[in-house]
Amino acid sequence: MMEEKTHPPLLDLGYKAIVDLLPCYLSIQDRFFNVLVANQTFRNDFGDAIGKKCHEVYKQSGIRCSPCPVWETFQDKKGHMSEETVRLPAGATIQLVVYSVPILDSLGNVMAVMEISTDISRIKEFQKELTFLGQSVASLSHDIKNILEGLQGGSYVVNEAIKDQDQELLKKGWSVVQKNIGEISRLVQNILYSSKKRTPAYETVALEQMLLETVGFFYEKAQLIECRLRAQVNPSLPMVLLDPGAARRMLINLISNALEACSRDKGKISHTLSVRADYFDSHHFMLEVEDDGIGMDDSTSEKLFSRFFSTKGMDGTGLGLLVVHDMAKEHGGRIEVLSAPGKGSTFRVIFPLKPTCPF
Amino acid sequence: MKTKKILIIDDNPDFIFTMETFLKRGGFTTLTAQDGKTGVERAQREHPDLILLDVMMETLYSGFEVCKRIKTDPQLKGTPIIGISGMADELGVQYEKEKDQEYFSPDAFFDKPVDKQKLLTKIKEFLDT
Repeated sequence: MMEEKTHPPLLDLGYKAIVDLLPCYLSIQDRFFNVLVANQTFRNDFGDAIGKKCHEVYKQSGIRCSPCPVWETFQDKKGHMSEETVRLPAGATIQLVVYSVPILDSLGNVMAVMEISTDISRIKEFQKELTFLGQSVASLSHDIKNILEGLQGGSYVVNEAIKDQDQELLKKGWSVVQKNIGEISRLVQNILYSSKKRTPAYETVALEQMLLETVGFFYEKAQLIECRLRAQVNPSLPMVLLDPGAARRMLINLISNALEACSRDKGKISHTLSVRADYFDSHHFMLEVEDDGIGMDDSTSEKLFSRFFSTKGMDGTGLGLLVVHDMAKEHGGRIEVLSAPGKGSTFRVIFPLKPTCPF
Repeated sequence: MKTKKILIIDDNPDFIFTMETFLKRGGFTTLTAQDGKTGVERAQREHPDLILLDVMMETLYSGFEVCKRIKTDPQLKGTPIIGISGMADELGVQYEKEKDQEYFSPDAFFDKPVDKQKLLTKIKEFLDT
């Protein structure tokens, strides 16, 4: 053997030492899953497992795993593989890929099984990231396709209106085009915001001015769906420290959602949407967006801030609320949601008056 | 000849508006519903000649539910349904009539953005106009 000749000092270590050094868990088990031999890596992470059952050591469980590669190897004398989630004595959970190999006696019977396990937790994390990336791309392209449908539809109507010189139809078609231009711009801003971790660029902000300006963007849209917009700011609120760009984005997303909730609610003739800034308590202030639209049930509220959850079917990626969530978190704030189906929703984002004193 | 009636069921008002404009210009009468439940009720009341149905509506009845109710209603089961979705491409799932009929049984299927000319040809094929 080439290695033995060229590296004799390595052999002096002995095979046991080499096995101990392997960066994976190696054990030999009898047919009752008792651990007969365990290498150093195994002992380092799981303690002295000799004489204990494999499933007790790995999973603190009284019964063997299903499927169990060791059991399968005892049955058919072949190697097997499985993926297992196990708990380290320190409490952390890791994911293992487990291989089993038969150790045969001179008659060819399985006298023991060697089990080799490798920690694949990091690979699993990458896998999750990839799955998430795939879902993100799917969800975004779905949203973009919807906007495209709106743009194509709107421009078709505009063309027809021009042909017929129909001013009324032209106005309607153009409003569909404009709405979808607004949608794509909002989507791109949200993608940009959520694509990286940010530290807020704090500035002293006059909330009244910011609220009135932001609410102002939506007057026309609100009028179209007969929704009354109100902005209320407690006059005793001081100037506050916020990242104005992020705060504006947050309000835009919350107001857009609230308008959508109102337009989907066919049970009322008209709606009211209130945007407020007020004290939450002596150390915190809040920005609040309240609507009397369709509202949500509890299961919807619970899923709200997960990536790409959307109740809007064809009309939403779910990115908007995620941006709100990230923004609040980056400012050391938190979000409260009150909602009831048919009655409406209130999204309240609470910020520390001094950003150095988060929750 | 009596003009054919098409019911558009979609929770996106812009889509309804552009489809209505398109279909009216094609010589059809249109009925609309912004949620599945209203869609089924309008179909039962007004017996359209064809239904354009959004599959992924997040309303009381989804597109799947609407399709099931119409196809099991003795008065309506013969009404052709054209399913429309924006998800097929992203999910890599194309509707296959043989496999998916039991679950969802429209008579034709279009992905958004809808090719209006192809849609018109399909509608005419169903309505024999």
